[in-house]
Amino acid sequence: MPDYAKTKKPDVKLVILGDMNVGKTSLLHRYMERTFKDTISTVGGAFFLKQWGPYNISIWDTAGREQFHGLGSMYCRGAAAVILTYDVTKWQSLVELENRFVSLTDTANSDCIFAIVGNKADLTDTRAFAVEPEENGTEEKEQGPRASSSPAAPPKGHKQVSREDAVALYSRILQYKLLAEETCLPAERMCFETSAKTGYNVDLLFETLFSMVLPSIRRKEAQSDSPTVDLEECREVKGAKPGCCT
Amino acid sequence: MDEEQQDREQPETVRCSHPESDCSPDATDSLDAAAAAAAISSHDPSLSDRDCGTEGPFPGKSAGIKIISSTNGPVEPDLQGPGGEGPSERTANHSEVSVGEVNGRSRPEGAEDEEDRPEDVSDSASTDNTLEDSSEFVVTVLTRASLEDQADGPSSEPSGLSQTPPPSNQDEDVTAESWRQHRKHVFVLSEAGKPIYSRYGNEEALSSTMGVMMALVSFVQTGDNTIRSIYSDEHTVVFMQQGPLVLVSVSCSRQSEQQLRAELLYVYNQIVSMLTQASINRIFERKKNYDLRRLLAGSEKILDGLLNLVDSDPSFLLSAVHCLPLASALRDSLSQILQKAITPNLVFSILIAKQQLLTIVQEKTVIEDARLEPADLHLLLNLIGASSAFQAGEIWTPICLPLFNPDCYFYAYISYLDPPDCTVCLLLLSTDKEAFYAVAECKRRIDEGMRAQNALSSIAKAHSYSASQVGVPDLRHFMYKPFDVPDNHRQLTQFTSPEMEAPYSSEEERSRLLDLYRYMHSRIHSSSRPLKLIYHVAERETLLAWVTGKFELYTCFSPLVTKASAINAITKLLRWIKKEEDRLFIRSPPKYSTTPNPSKSSRGSKGASDRPDGSDNGFLSLL
Repeated sequence: MPDYAKTKKPDVKLVILGDMNVGKTSLLHRYMERTFKDTISTVGGAFFLKQWGPYNISIWDTAGREQFHGLGSMYCRGAAAVILTYDVTKWQSLVELENRFVSLTDTANSDCIFAIVGNKADLTDTRAFAVEPEENGTEEKEQGPRASSSPAAPPKGHKQVSREDAVALYSRILQYKLLAEETCLPAERMCFETSAKTGYNVDLLFETLFSMVLPSIRRKEAQSDSPTVDLEECREVKGAKPGCCT
Repeated sequence: MDEEQQDREQPETVRCSHPESDCSPDATDSLDAAAAAAAISSHDPSLSDRDCGTEGPFPGKSAGIKIISSTNGPVEPDLQGPGGEGPSERTANHSEVSVGEVNGRSRPEGAEDEEDRPEDVSDSASTDNTLEDSSEFVVTVLTRASLEDQADGPSSEPSGLSQTPPPSNQDEDVTAESWRQHRKHVFVLSEAGKPIYSRYGNEEALSSTMGVMMALVSFVQTGDNTIRSIYSDEHTVVFMQQGPLVLVSVSCSRQSEQQLRAELLYVYNQIVSMLTQASINRIFERKKNYDLRRLLAGSEKILDGLLNLVDSDPSFLLSAVHCLPLASALRDSLSQILQKAITPNLVFSILIAKQQLLTIVQEKTVIEDARLEPADLHLLLNLIGASSAFQAGEIWTPICLPLFNPDCYFYAYISYLDPPDCTVCLLLLSTDKEAFYAVAECKRRIDEGMRAQNALSSIAKAHSYSASQVGVPDLRHFMYKPFDVPDNHRQLTQFTSPEMEAPYSSEEERSRLLDLYRYMHSRIHSSSRPLKLIYHVAERETLLAWVTGKFELYTCFSPLVTKASAINAITKLLRWIKKEEDRLFIRSPPKYSTTPNPSKSSRGSKGASDRPDGSDNGFLSLL
């Protein structure tokens, strides 16, 4: 099945940006693999294909390091959604978003949607902390010790970035993009606080975004709804149906 | 036939080198004595005298601190001040002892530190508060520097007192004795003395130490000279300047200076591979005191990984690539799969399994100008190892191959062909930054090709071999590196080596064997007295190293082997390698042509791709 997905052209593109060490790779890893593990600093960018229903969503996990800054605009080209990630315990990581990363999104689609995501919420927020990591068979076991050892200590990290700061950044981004706030998605819906470690809000983040970029996919499909019959597409529908029944 | 001839030569050669090699068990000691006597081996012998000046600052400990606090400012003036006023050699030596005491027996003399601190603060309020900590190490360095004046120096060397297990963390306490115990430290700093990288401990905490290193470098520089190394009883300190970067290795591994220098060059090249030489130079031309860590932040793991590999993988020592043994038919069919999946501006397609090379296919016109050097491939392999965090994805990253062209980027596509196992890795190098999707498409085709031939399972069956397969009872291990021969001198330098098996199955024993190989290597490649053949009786094994115009060979035998039987064994071994050659090595790296038309981008390929070339049967013509 994943092989099948791989041979498909991606329908829509999503990019994760943010300073280094804010947890971009971990977020994606939590969503895709349902686990949290120590990651190594990403080099360049990593491309993932996620099959979401009948759609193929390509996700670019980028390196936060300044070294790879030059590539940022290439990763963002034609993106339908951008996830701007910061670390709730590090004020500077929010500042960097505005300084370095917002300008990279110039090459994204004109109707690109933005999400501001404060990761590592488990360090400051009891709610995020208390979330039980999802159970999923074998992988849960290797994660077991970490999960069981942590509840002993309540979150004591100092929260440096409040939700209001993120909301403010969101409206500044809209200004920068010359978008009227009224016509865009409201900040409340686009600012998230997540924890890749406990899984808090991670699924919510990705699922919300996917459902938001769907219109963009539909529009694309409508455009390609030309007299030419796309055989590929037919096969895709057929392929999906029997899958449900069996 | 060639072999036979060589065989006849062998006994003679052995006899010749016998007296030399018989000093073996204690050779290391005598070697070190000589090394110590050599003191600072800079170009100018008169320098060791002058170098005492360097110790000038530390007769009083507060003076020592003075250099440290000038880390952020110009280093030289401060240093020359006290140095020029020159305390005599005797005072320097005297103080060395006292410092040794202060330094060696931990640090309960808080009083002294307290005294120094106000000065620190006033001199450089901006520097971090770790000054006081690392100043101790600085003193140690200086002590070392002083030690080389007394060649047979007292063993009051403050470092190396107790054997504590080293914590393996980046935020290691740099004041701890265990930090000093590390076998090999590597530091990278800028010409302005700014710390860039330290293998152990935080660079920030080491800024004063690095300041002193830079002071040593620039002090010698003012005399129109270059500091190369410092020897003490236990440590070898090697300095290397590469453009605006200074690299320093502090090692007690008893490796030769030459080897340590080669390792530093790997470190430098890995940094270049991430930033390019041109941009490093440009950055520092514009701003002398730029903090390069801004650009390298996050890459420490890559450098750490490189240094670990350098310590554990003999490919670095031999500067050759280790191929996974593979039936030549299978290797050829893999190459053909790679050859078929091409796209414009693709220049190298490389297949790797278990950190060893399976095959490599290259753009035809590129190879006419240059070939992929083993060192570049090592850096690539290290990058792959360091970036495997999230293996289901496809990585696209700029990378520079310093030996191919230090100023340009290639774009590397890295993906595993067998998730979730992630043992077979595909690496495609393009010169076009935007080519990701085209290159990813090549991967799909390679994927299909592999599946069609069920190649993955064949690869999974491939594995390294055991020394026992050679059929020589006393042979425990060997490394064989054939040299370029005229008919395939464009070939990638490779070597072959069996698995390290018992008694070398433990980490410890493995590294002991590698140390022995390193010792043999340093004797063979000694700059003052190179050898062709060494027969070395070590404590628990016997080694024989032999270099000819055609190959370099290191062998390890059980300790009871006799010289005659060892030579016999080598004859058999060479015959075996000859027989297995096609399986052990990539014989003729195939090529493809991705440039039917002059390409739009030839940044990395030295303009190679602007030669249109229609014929694409380069592979067949090679066969």
